[in-house]
Amino acid sequence: MKLRKMTALFLSAAMAATMMTGFTASAEEGEYSDDEIISFTMFSAMPGSEINDDNEIMDIIAHKVGAKVKETWLTGQTAAEAVGTIIASGDLPDFIDGGDGMMALYDEGALVAWDDYLEQYPNLKEMYTDEEWNSFRQDDGHIYWANVFQNSYGENRSTTHNDEAFWVQARVLEWAGYPEIKTLDQYFDLLEGYYEANPTMEDGTPNIPYTILCDDWRYFCIENAPEFLDGYPNDGSVIVDKSDPSAPKIVDYNTTETAKKYFQKLNEEYNKGMIDGEFATQIYDEYIAKLSTGAVLGMCDQWWDFAFTVNDVFKQQGLDLKGCNYVPLGLTIEEGMDNRWHTYDDTLNNSSGCAVTTSCEDPDAAFKFMNDILDQEIHDLRFWGIEGVDYLVDDDGMYYRTEEMRMQAADTAYQASHFCQYSYMPQWLGTSRDGINAMQPSEQTSEFFSGLAEPLKACFEAYGAENYPDMIGSIVEHNEPWFPMYSFSNAMTTETPGGVAWTKMGEVKHEWLPQVVMSSDFEGTWEQYMEAYNDTNPQDFLDEMQEELNRRAGIE
Amino acid sequence: MKRTKMKTKWPDKVFVVCNTLFMIAFVVITLYPVLNTVAISFNDGVDAVRGGIHLWPRKFVLKNYDTVLHQQNMLTGAYISVARTVIGTLLALVANALLAYIVSRKRFLFRSQLSLFWVLTMYVNGGLIPVLLVYRSLGLTNSFWVYVIPGMISAFNMLVLRTYMEGLPESLAESAQIDGAGDFKIFTRIISPLCKPVYATVALFVAVGQWNSWFDAMIYNRMKPEYTTLQYELMKLLSSVMQQSGSATNMASAGQAATVTPVSVRAAATVVTMLPIICLYPFLQRYFVTGLTIGGVKE
Amino acid sequence: MKRKAKTKAAKVPITWKEIKRQKFLIICSLIFVIYGIIFYYVPLGGWLMAFENYKPRTGLLGSKFVGLDKFRFLFSDATFLRVIRNTLAMGVINLVATFVMAILFAILLNEIRFGFGKKLVQTISYLPHFLSWIIVTGILHDALSNSGVVNELLMNLGIVDRAVNFFANKSYFWPIVAFANVWKETGWNAIIYLAAITSIDPSLYEAAAIDGAGRFAKIKNITLPSIKPTIMILLLMNIGNVLNAGFEVQYLLGNGLVKKVSETIDIYVLTWGISQNDYSLGTAAGIFKSVVAIILIVIANQVAKRSGEQRLF
Repeated sequence: MKLRKMTALFLSAAMAATMMTGFTASAEEGEYSDDEIISFTMFSAMPGSEINDDNEIMDIIAHKVGAKVKETWLTGQTAAEAVGTIIASGDLPDFIDGGDGMMALYDEGALVAWDDYLEQYPNLKEMYTDEEWNSFRQDDGHIYWANVFQNSYGENRSTTHNDEAFWVQARVLEWAGYPEIKTLDQYFDLLEGYYEANPTMEDGTPNIPYTILCDDWRYFCIENAPEFLDGYPNDGSVIVDKSDPSAPKIVDYNTTETAKKYFQKLNEEYNKGMIDGEFATQIYDEYIAKLSTGAVLGMCDQWWDFAFTVNDVFKQQGLDLKGCNYVPLGLTIEEGMDNRWHTYDDTLNNSSGCAVTTSCEDPDAAFKFMNDILDQEIHDLRFWGIEGVDYLVDDDGMYYRTEEMRMQAADTAYQASHFCQYSYMPQWLGTSRDGINAMQPSEQTSEFFSGLAEPLKACFEAYGAENYPDMIGSIVEHNEPWFPMYSFSNAMTTETPGGVAWTKMGEVKHEWLPQVVMSSDFEGTWEQYMEAYNDTNPQDFLDEMQEELNRRAGIE
Repeated sequence: MKRTKMKTKWPDKVFVVCNTLFMIAFVVITLYPVLNTVAISFNDGVDAVRGGIHLWPRKFVLKNYDTVLHQQNMLTGAYISVARTVIGTLLALVANALLAYIVSRKRFLFRSQLSLFWVLTMYVNGGLIPVLLVYRSLGLTNSFWVYVIPGMISAFNMLVLRTYMEGLPESLAESAQIDGAGDFKIFTRIISPLCKPVYATVALFVAVGQWNSWFDAMIYNRMKPEYTTLQYELMKLLSSVMQQSGSATNMASAGQAATVTPVSVRAAATVVTMLPIICLYPFLQRYFVTGLTIGGVKE
Repeated sequence: MKRKAKTKAAKVPITWKEIKRQKFLIICSLIFVIYGIIFYYVPLGGWLMAFENYKPRTGLLGSKFVGLDKFRFLFSDATFLRVIRNTLAMGVINLVATFVMAILFAILLNEIRFGFGKKLVQTISYLPHFLSWIIVTGILHDALSNSGVVNELLMNLGIVDRAVNFFANKSYFWPIVAFANVWKETGWNAIIYLAAITSIDPSLYEAAAIDGAGRFAKIKNITLPSIKPTIMILLLMNIGNVLNAGFEVQYLLGNGLVKKVSETIDIYVLTWGISQNDYSLGTAAGIFKSVVAIILIVIANQVAKRSGEQRLF
């Protein structure tokens, strides 16, 4: 403790000196020796990977900027619980991202306001526009945290469709000669046709035309497609109908005609034997195992829910070369509608983010640290690693990785001992300040393409797509000011009738939707389901959503 | 052989056959999940995601163990876990046995009240945060002692001990009392030596509980990595692997193969946890599983 | 067996002389009581939460007092009543199944004469205790799936002609949960009975053998009566735990189709309390469970007392 204070004192003296010389201190001049380095602590209310104390890049960064952060993560608790216990224990870390518990920290008076420091540290200030910064202001008018995700510098570079879609294996599209698939009916016709012609895989494993995950909270895979099929974006819990631009209106996607058509279609397909007979009882691990065999032709899911694990298995088993990888289709219920499955803009979530606590003995050094790690050089170290070791630079200044480097970067042990992303601290997506590279390797187009298997490349080329978002072909437009409405419904509690209704609606849907799909009498079961659904008073929920929508849209 | 003897022996033989068959079936059914876990722990993580592994790994690797054993602070964690298991078990055994002795005394004036006082603790719980506040005000947080002091007495263990003590012949304590022995002496010299089987049982319960716990390390010593425990480190590893397999932030680029998965790491962590207990078990087991000599009969 | 009746009559009156004689016992128990108050009873102040709209930011003393609102919320919800039924049903089924199996296993194991085999079986039997629920339920899901070993067996034996989807049928859910509990905990739970069996005087068996008693007679007349006090105490303790039927197994094995029978109080609290940051509701449900548990054990204890059996207090 004492030592830390001493070093802090020393550091501020050193800083004062550099300031007097005109604030030109760059990395070369600013090398810090071991005993000048300040150690901070951080807690993020999300599960994450703890890196080693002697992590190599953490050490390099520490010597360049004069500080390092020991990060700890959420384990086996909810975010709010963890924040509650941290507050009660009285031991706050220097930095915190409280997730759902952020407000509790603010109310506790445990956070340091950013306002003064923002003027002092240009890299931090640069993260958001004034308007965006204002959205972080709390009721006392100050800014206490900044969300660090989904924030693009320069041009947006996203190559994946990290959202929901109806997915289909590349081999199915190839077999059919890469047809245009626009509607739900066409999609199932395609699956049926392929299945009829190819009831099994090459090795004799029976193909499963379509499966639906309904396990626990992941039942969104069955539940929210009607919203997208009607051409609306991922507001999550509701549709916002803006046919009258001056008075946007909340619509319940569970009861629309499209919803009924969609479930009727699923029911029809189920009774035809096109849908996995065990879909309603499979757990997530079984679902992933099923997809991993390459036998499932299609399903509706979020990319992050399956792709990372399943693509790894495909690669290992050589199934990627047989065209088992999934591509997204931008389906709508009728032909000729715009689809909005893909969200192009950054989604700003101002309800939580990185914050400095009042337990931090030197807040100025903490803000300086956050500022420094946004320097391009440090940012490259965080996300790309060390040049020559983790990535190479070609003659055009383009960063790339060899296959060996990619394998190494995926190794858990190597990540812990080598990489130091500070992944819950300020960072950028999008294009690097050099104008050529992506801020993070996952968005580097060349990296993306070199990782693709041949059948997938062929598929993309057949549709003239360069990446997943092109493939799904959603209409390009900016987010509405109220987007996404789910940020409000997620925060609802049982204190309001709407919150109670929202939880009950979820329970009823979870219980009834599989039955609706499996029913031998669709109309009858649908009736029963609607009755149970209406008993939950969905109108209470919709009213509260409308109120919030009006507030967000600026309608009195 | 006399005919009468044959007659009484016949159902016994059927019994032995049935019993043996039952035990074999039981062993097969209980051993399967354990062997399955071991098999998965030696199997390639990505391959294990496909399922279908039973008793033998399909793609043998040591990577899962490598990952588990290289988790940071594993050594500190192991050291603290051993320390808390040893100290915690000793303290708990002494405290519970003494308390059990007190409430097993037929003459003790507040026997029923004291029993009730402790029985109730099994069914009431103040909740996480109130408990935390109490520990904090006692200065137990951020220290090793939070692992061994608060859970020292458990009504369950105390009652198990009490029941056993009450089953001992009363004449033993009575004659000692007549010889002028005090309660302390009766407890240490007369009762305790006879309680070895039940002491071993309770020691096992406490030790396993201590060895397996991780939540307290996180809640009370979050900012003290020097008091981390093995189980907490394993939990952190597992949660980090789970997070990695389901998020884009750690995936540097598409098509990159991960080396371990939650399924494989969970299996390896389970085996690492179980192993020390399996090794220690025979030393305790001889107290409560006796061979032919004590429990059985020569025939 | 007669000794209990004798001691019951000898109720010791509280006199100074007696107190002085029991000095050691009284001082020790005072220390234990202080310890118990600090670590178990003081934190019960947290129960206040159930009567207010607890928010971490306002704390235990600053949160808004709402009286019995949380209890009213619970008991006016038809789902909660159904959830109590599920919890109680599974609690009782699990109690009976795990209890009977553990005793049966301990007694049968004790009948094995082959020392090494006995130790081996015992060692293997407790191992599943160390597997987490997620592993056990994963294996169970695998075994009971359409292509799993159970369906394969049933079809080969001709008992069913097409695969049974066990997890889709409400009537299978409680037995599956009970089986999972038995599978995981039988060997572990049996340890306590095995320890009790070791205290049996071997001469009793010898005497019985001379009288020509067979195995069943010995089990019935010697083994069972000897471990009866242990059985009674564990039974009494577990009766108080019937509402703690758990949530992990049900959570991991349940799905939308069997929701009506799979949800327990703890799952309900997770859905309505913890995931909505409503700690008060969880506390209220906790108090309800505590009250029920205490009522149950007091009744059970009285019954045991009447019939001259071992009791908790």
